[in-house]
Amino acid sequence: MATANMKDVKRRIKSVESTKQITKAMELVASSKLRKAKERAEKAQPFFKSLYETMCEIAGNNAIMSQYLSKNIVKTCLVVVVAGDRGLAGGFNHNVLKLATQRIEELKSQGMTVKVLPLGKKSVEYFEKRKYDIVNPLQHIAEGMTIYKSQEIADYVIGMFKYGEIGSAELIYTTLISALSQEPVHVKMLPVQGFDNKPKDKAVSLTIYDPSPEEVFDGLIPKYLNGMIYGAIVDSFAAEQAARRTAMESASDNAGEMIDSLSLLYNRARQAQITQELTEIVSGSMKK
Amino acid sequence: MKPFKLEIITPEKIFFDGETEHLIARTSEGDVGILHGHTPYVANLVSGPVKVKMEDGSFRMAAVSGGVIKVSADNTVIIASAVEWADEIDVERAKRSVEDAKRRLKENKSQREFDLAEQKLKRALNRISVAGGL
Repeated sequence: MATANMKDVKRRIKSVESTKQITKAMELVASSKLRKAKERAEKAQPFFKSLYETMCEIAGNNAIMSQYLSKNIVKTCLVVVVAGDRGLAGGFNHNVLKLATQRIEELKSQGMTVKVLPLGKKSVEYFEKRKYDIVNPLQHIAEGMTIYKSQEIADYVIGMFKYGEIGSAELIYTTLISALSQEPVHVKMLPVQGFDNKPKDKAVSLTIYDPSPEEVFDGLIPKYLNGMIYGAIVDSFAAEQAARRTAMESASDNAGEMIDSLSLLYNRARQAQITQELTEIVSGSMKK
Repeated sequence: MKPFKLEIITPEKIFFDGETEHLIARTSEGDVGILHGHTPYVANLVSGPVKVKMEDGSFRMAAVSGGVIKVSADNTVIIASAVEWADEIDVERAKRSVEDAKRRLKENKSQREFDLAEQKLKRALNRISVAGGL
């Protein structure tokens, strides 16, 4: 019995060890990807900051009317949900999808029709399975995200808004607070928020807008939305890597603990066997 | 002529940060030339060439794919989603995008997809023409 038990324990140790190797490797990959994603998010910062400042200046110095600022009568809302392409990232995908579902239910209870634009494989699968009204699903985009790809998404959303298919648009994604904590958030994209229509300083409005403040403002909208979408996808990707790193770290730790307790069991069984063999030899020799 | 500060910012990097005496950019209303002491000015850029006068007095061309130019008293900023110096443009890649965009235009799907393909075609043609030194 002892020998059979020993074999079993040995096999389990081996299997846990190989799992640990995998989780350790995934942890390392995730942390290097996290670093890259953070860098990418930081590089884009000056661009969107100066873009946002310019828009604030225009909106702050001129009483502008824009179709992108006013409330829309169309009772359809587009919800863009950014999730990961892969699992094994702890509660990452689950949390963001849960928030999205809550928000969608909330909108529906206000009498809105909801369309979903899922980004990332997990998001697409989730909403397809639950038979939501899906438009333009995209998978495997987060890792090689470029400004051109996010511009296509932004143009698509603006297109729907312009052609009156949707009256508002929201964005749900996970933001990276620190390497150890990520939080799903939801922001409104359209009509655009945060540009208060109050001329403050008369002196600044000497600026010439060519052809007009409205046109310049409207021309910047696609870039501004692109910034939001790009930022959300990059942020979400960084958060996914951080979540995966944490999950894999604790998986590796657990595997280590399991190996420890299994080796203890194995050593006990081995010693018990030796003791038994010794007793057999000793008792055999005493009979002579 | 007196030089002024110029910054060209793209999402990937700060493309240009320095001084120039003369800048020519293409806005939706036509080409504008900016010299030192220009009045505060903001305009949308359409995809087209931007010419920056370098220290040796020659103009260096770059292809810009839409954005905004903001001239204020102390500096000038161009914010664009993509900028490439004319001598660094990958003409082969631009030609491929032209083909791709033309094929999509022919597919004749919805108005929206037509618009997207048209924009793509414009961007690619702009890069080819800037690379050719037009």
